[in-house]
Amino acid sequence: MKHSNDELIARWRGEPAPLLPLLHALHDRDGYLSDDALRAVAKGLRLPIADLFGTVTFYHHFSRQPPGKAAPRVCDGPVCKHRGTQALLQGLPGATVMPCAGRCDGPVPVLQGDLVRVGSTPDGLAEEPSPLPPPYPGDRGECVFAEIRTHDRATLAGYRSTGGYRALTAARDTMTPNEIIDVITASGLAGRGGAGFPTGRKWKAVAQAPGGPKTIVCNADEGEPGCFKDRALMDHDPHALVEGMAIAALATGATRGFIYLRYEYPQTLVILEDAIAEAQRVGLLDGFDLYVRRGAGAYVCGEETSLLNSLEGKHPFPRNRPPYPVTHGFEDRPTVVNNVETLCAVAPILRHGAAWYRDLGLGDHAGTKVISLSGDVQRPGNYEVPIGLPLRTLLHEWAGGPAPGRTIQAVTMAGLSGGLLGPDALQGTPAVTLDEPCLRARGAFLGAGGIMVFDDTRHMVELAHEAMEFFAHESCGKCFPCRIGTQRLTERLSGGGPVTLDAWTAEVTDIGDAMKATSACGLGTAAPLITDSLLRYFPDQVARHLAGRKA
Amino acid sequence: MSNPLADMEKPEVIFAIGTNMTECHPVAATRLKRALRSGAKMIVADPRRIPLAEAADLYLPLRVGTDVALLLGMAHVIDREGLVNREFMEARTEEAEAFLEHVRQFTPEWAQSICGVPAADIERAALMYARAERGAIYYTLGITEHICGVDNVQSLCNLALMTGHIGREGTGINPMRGQNNIQGAGDCGALPNNFPGFQPVTDPAHAKRFSEAYGREIEAVKGITKVQALDRAAHGELWAMLICGENTLVSDPDRDHCDKALRALDHLVVIDLFRTETAELADVVLPATAWGETDGVFTNTERRVQRVRAAVPPMGQAKPEWWIVAQIAKRMGSPGFDWQSPQEVFDELCSLSGIYKGLDWEKAGTAAYHWPVPEPGHPGTPRLHEHDFPTASGRGKFVRVGFRDPAEVVSERFPVWLTTGRRLQHYHTRTMTGRAGMHYFVPEEVLEVHPDDVAAWGLQDGQWCRVSGSKGAVEMKVQANDRSPRGTVFCSFSFGDVPVNVLTGAGYDPITETAELKVCPVRVEAVAR
Amino acid sequence: MTTHTTASTPEARELVLTMDGQEVSFSVGETLYQVSQRLRTEVPTLCYDDRLDPFGGCRLCVVEVEGQRNPVASCTTQALPGMVVHTRSERVERHRKTLLELVVSENPEARIDPLRGHASQELHHLRERYGVTGERMQGRKSGHSRPDDDNPFIARDYDQCISCYRCVRVCAEREGDYAISVKGRGFATQITVEFDGHLRDSACTFCGQCVQTCPTGALADRKALRAEARPEPIVATRSICPYCGVGCSVDLLSKGDRLVGIRPAMDGPANLGALCVKGQFAFDWVQSEDRLTTPLVRGKDGQLHPATWDEALDRAAAGFAKARDEHGQHGTYAIASGRAPHESAYAIQKFIRVSYGSNYIDNCSRA
Repeated sequence: MKHSNDELIARWRGEPAPLLPLLHALHDRDGYLSDDALRAVAKGLRLPIADLFGTVTFYHHFSRQPPGKAAPRVCDGPVCKHRGTQALLQGLPGATVMPCAGRCDGPVPVLQGDLVRVGSTPDGLAEEPSPLPPPYPGDRGECVFAEIRTHDRATLAGYRSTGGYRALTAARDTMTPNEIIDVITASGLAGRGGAGFPTGRKWKAVAQAPGGPKTIVCNADEGEPGCFKDRALMDHDPHALVEGMAIAALATGATRGFIYLRYEYPQTLVILEDAIAEAQRVGLLDGFDLYVRRGAGAYVCGEETSLLNSLEGKHPFPRNRPPYPVTHGFEDRPTVVNNVETLCAVAPILRHGAAWYRDLGLGDHAGTKVISLSGDVQRPGNYEVPIGLPLRTLLHEWAGGPAPGRTIQAVTMAGLSGGLLGPDALQGTPAVTLDEPCLRARGAFLGAGGIMVFDDTRHMVELAHEAMEFFAHESCGKCFPCRIGTQRLTERLSGGGPVTLDAWTAEVTDIGDAMKATSACGLGTAAPLITDSLLRYFPDQVARHLAGRKA
Repeated sequence: MSNPLADMEKPEVIFAIGTNMTECHPVAATRLKRALRSGAKMIVADPRRIPLAEAADLYLPLRVGTDVALLLGMAHVIDREGLVNREFMEARTEEAEAFLEHVRQFTPEWAQSICGVPAADIERAALMYARAERGAIYYTLGITEHICGVDNVQSLCNLALMTGHIGREGTGINPMRGQNNIQGAGDCGALPNNFPGFQPVTDPAHAKRFSEAYGREIEAVKGITKVQALDRAAHGELWAMLICGENTLVSDPDRDHCDKALRALDHLVVIDLFRTETAELADVVLPATAWGETDGVFTNTERRVQRVRAAVPPMGQAKPEWWIVAQIAKRMGSPGFDWQSPQEVFDELCSLSGIYKGLDWEKAGTAAYHWPVPEPGHPGTPRLHEHDFPTASGRGKFVRVGFRDPAEVVSERFPVWLTTGRRLQHYHTRTMTGRAGMHYFVPEEVLEVHPDDVAAWGLQDGQWCRVSGSKGAVEMKVQANDRSPRGTVFCSFSFGDVPVNVLTGAGYDPITETAELKVCPVRVEAVAR
Repeated sequence: MTTHTTASTPEARELVLTMDGQEVSFSVGETLYQVSQRLRTEVPTLCYDDRLDPFGGCRLCVVEVEGQRNPVASCTTQALPGMVVHTRSERVERHRKTLLELVVSENPEARIDPLRGHASQELHHLRERYGVTGERMQGRKSGHSRPDDDNPFIARDYDQCISCYRCVRVCAEREGDYAISVKGRGFATQITVEFDGHLRDSACTFCGQCVQTCPTGALADRKALRAEARPEPIVATRSICPYCGVGCSVDLLSKGDRLVGIRPAMDGPANLGALCVKGQFAFDWVQSEDRLTTPLVRGKDGQLHPATWDEALDRAAAGFAKARDEHGQHGTYAIASGRAPHESAYAIQKFIRVSYGSNYIDNCSRA
């Protein structure tokens, strides 16, 4: 039975962060958001209709007309593009593209309604659970993946069978909030979404911030192309996330939490809601109200302040900082925003101790990082590496290297945000290791840990163009350097701009410099790393690109 | 206004009653909206669901003409809940105990039975306003254009006095003046009871002072009001009239009566910009310079004295009004009209007005002074009543008001309440907005009727209806609109072809003689046209 | 040298930073941009309007703060004690020029008539200051004008739009109407209203605030633009709006003898730069064709006829004198206007009181 606008509004009006779930309810009901539905929402939630209209158009998964949600959307991320996107688009009536949907380890995903199917041809599409991480190839030990392959891990019983929720109960019964924070601080755990901010310090700031209620927000908006680690964690180990959030709440005094989940993971939504319900049923979450809120297709919502605006129902522009979310987060109150992987590491750290976690890293580096490895390697997938692992070890020993007869031409770092590493970096000495100091010295960064591999058959200018087109598509439009810069760079990577190499390079460099120096958020500062690294590692391909235009 | 406009951004609780501010004082309303943005709460009382009501935290849809009942109910709750500001009451007011005794009979349930607002909401409103650190009241003609206009205002004063929400930043009792210089017209002594500066004509000292200054004995007796003057003219007891810049025939209640009165005069001189309906009845019509062509002074609703300046030369032979009036006076042999400039006129006013004593033409040019400016060097008075009230004792006086019905109430014959007001894009009788392209928004008058009533009364949205009252009838188109509550209809008085004031004005406030323009029982029927 | 002292408490004395080599004191909550304005350092900006919350969109106001890797937007950065700030370093000037090149690259090269609005010359001025010609950074343009919205008041020439969001913000933050919003994102961003419709069908009240804050003239005063072709210079005369009692300060724009437009006075004490649809757009009545331009006197035929001032004034005076002589002090009455200036009302009350010795005078406040 279809619910009326009024019924749905009544269902959600009193809930926290009601706008997105209400819009989804209407979008699910009709397949699109009609003028009437938006008018009803504006009235029901007392939002200005113009703002609501504008905000809805920001999200690329919200449709404003039929068939809307019923039409297939095919991933055209950098990896999928080489695995069948075109064939699917041609073979599926009414199909349109969507940016990377986080199935680079088993491409190509097609999203239709709340169904994700994967395959390379229209006939070969099938609903498949998201792949588990491959068996651990290392010797140092895993943290977040240590138990993920165990039977029934996603159920409460399965999770508890290997000690799940013991960290939470122990923390609740035997530890003070400060003690919890001290353990996390000592472990060296830092933000695994890419920013790398020390988790213990963030929690401490929220614990000490005046005002409330305080909130734990899990950033599960895994929008970075080439990143699919959070999906694996949530699909196969949802209770680890729930437990991590509950511990974060204990440590900071938070009483409510949200998991902001990207739209492209509909199965994950069900898994999370089931896990939360299970945990609630047995009283594990008493005193902590935990909700899942689903995004609607906007990469910038992975930026924590955009995410908070989105959660609050506002236009998802990034906020100016300071103030930071630790004091002025969700609804301007103290808020922890942590990535899925960070939160999943919390319970193991409490159970095994800070020193255990620190020692999982190599050299001076503490802990582990999950790398989503995809593209032209023999064994793509999520690998939990000790921080400081040589990149070559991951590519060639763990993942089997490129296909026989091929060589690796380039890898992307941080999905697309960290730019490219070319042959010089991959082969040179000292070897590139997977840690921020090493990567930053090479103009890249590890970020959320997506690495896409491109062998010697790939056109790097084309790849750079695809990457920049993605950034241009996802630029929020708030700040000038990113809004116009990503567009101008995209044009220059696809045949536009000056014709001479010098003039072309000068414009591309000037735009990139201005973007890096002046953009308002990480999207704009990171995007030009693509052109920087293209010019650094592949000047010949750039020259050929321009020569080709002249000819 | 007791408080400056800037204070509108500072209340904790706003109580707006009888003011459609977003349409009638849109720029002042932006300040309230900014207050709401920064967390203020707002109570709106109005029979119609006006835009301000949409923005309110608590909306009180009272029946037209029942403000006193609502406000008595609120006063009752404030007393009952022990929220009376005793300290303020003892230090700054008088007749408080008698007033509190008086309101104990007016329960919110009683108020509900009259004004139709649920008792629980009356209680909520009272608690919100009384508990606020800073509560501010805003009102307009929805309060004053009633036979009980003075009672309404006094009821509001009572609330402010009970709670001490006066004389401080972000508080006060704040009537919004409807015309650019209506405050100034009063300041200048264009009143039957006051000389310039609100100095009572009945005070022999003032009468003496003005008699001396003007070189002519002026009687220390109140003149009659405009309403009485028109009555007398209609009865052949008044013979000459000078009307300046007012289209009396259209804007006043009871047009037929007004027409008869003006026609009965021996001598009518009209000074105006246009050949208005009133000018058509005149013996002499004198063309005045318009705004934009005239140098002068306006006082705004917050008592701020500001200069207007000429930007373009006068059209044709138009002349400033002060010059025209002075010429007539001189030709009658009246002394004291030898002004050469508006500055001389204004400076003469300042010299005779206690509240302008410290002002002059140059100071008005800075737009920095709120009257009273009692002496040169005084910085002006943005906020009134910080220390005392303008009463003999200096204390704020509680007034024991009671509810009374409007002059006319609905009946079997006239079962519908009509209330009138302005629309955003038009102003008064459209002498200005009608010549400035505003028909783009509102090309014609419409009667706003609740959609349920449209159906129940056999009307059709967009079709014609006849609105009849005890004094006449007008016809206009129907607009189905849920801003109007069931049983109450609304239109503006801006369109000459829908002279709604043939219906209104059955009664006048006994003290101010302001006409009851806001309440009129009517019957609404479909007509073919 | 300290150029500005805000307070003398010991804590306040520590609120000092260095900007372009000059020590400046500041107050808590001040931004670097506000400090720079006090120093009259011309930090460029396009998205800033001092009546609005800082937005940080255009990034032209970036300055260098020693110890920070990247420049910071001065409009959103709070001043802190001990900061060492450079507002004109080679690096930020270079980035500013690039940003302006990017902005200009998506705007048509067109003369923006100042009649379009108060802030309409801002981009033009910055373009001249940085010598940006529009040759570099060429590419697609993003704005789509709305000639279909043919309301007679506000032109929506979004070809000129640079997505600074000042219109969106002024509508929400100052006007409280929330009529303007943003559709889409990134380069596809379009300023629009609900459901992409016309202003008249939206929550817009035509207050004109968006027009006045637009730094490129993309939103323009269509009424004023009627006088675009007149050759005379634009003259602004400060006055007060003639409508309701709020008393908004306005600047009357004239060309020669013609009143061509109204502009809200940003420093007007009652309105702080705001106006409503009437104050902003409803001024044509002043020079309307049907204004009375000569005195009229009723003739023996019962009709009103044009007359000289002398004839008319004599006739007016004679009538009042006759009433005085025949009916005494209570035979004549005067009604002053609540719209005319003080001098009018004052003259009329004096006329009655001097000519008749009565108080038979009122104004139109009772109806």
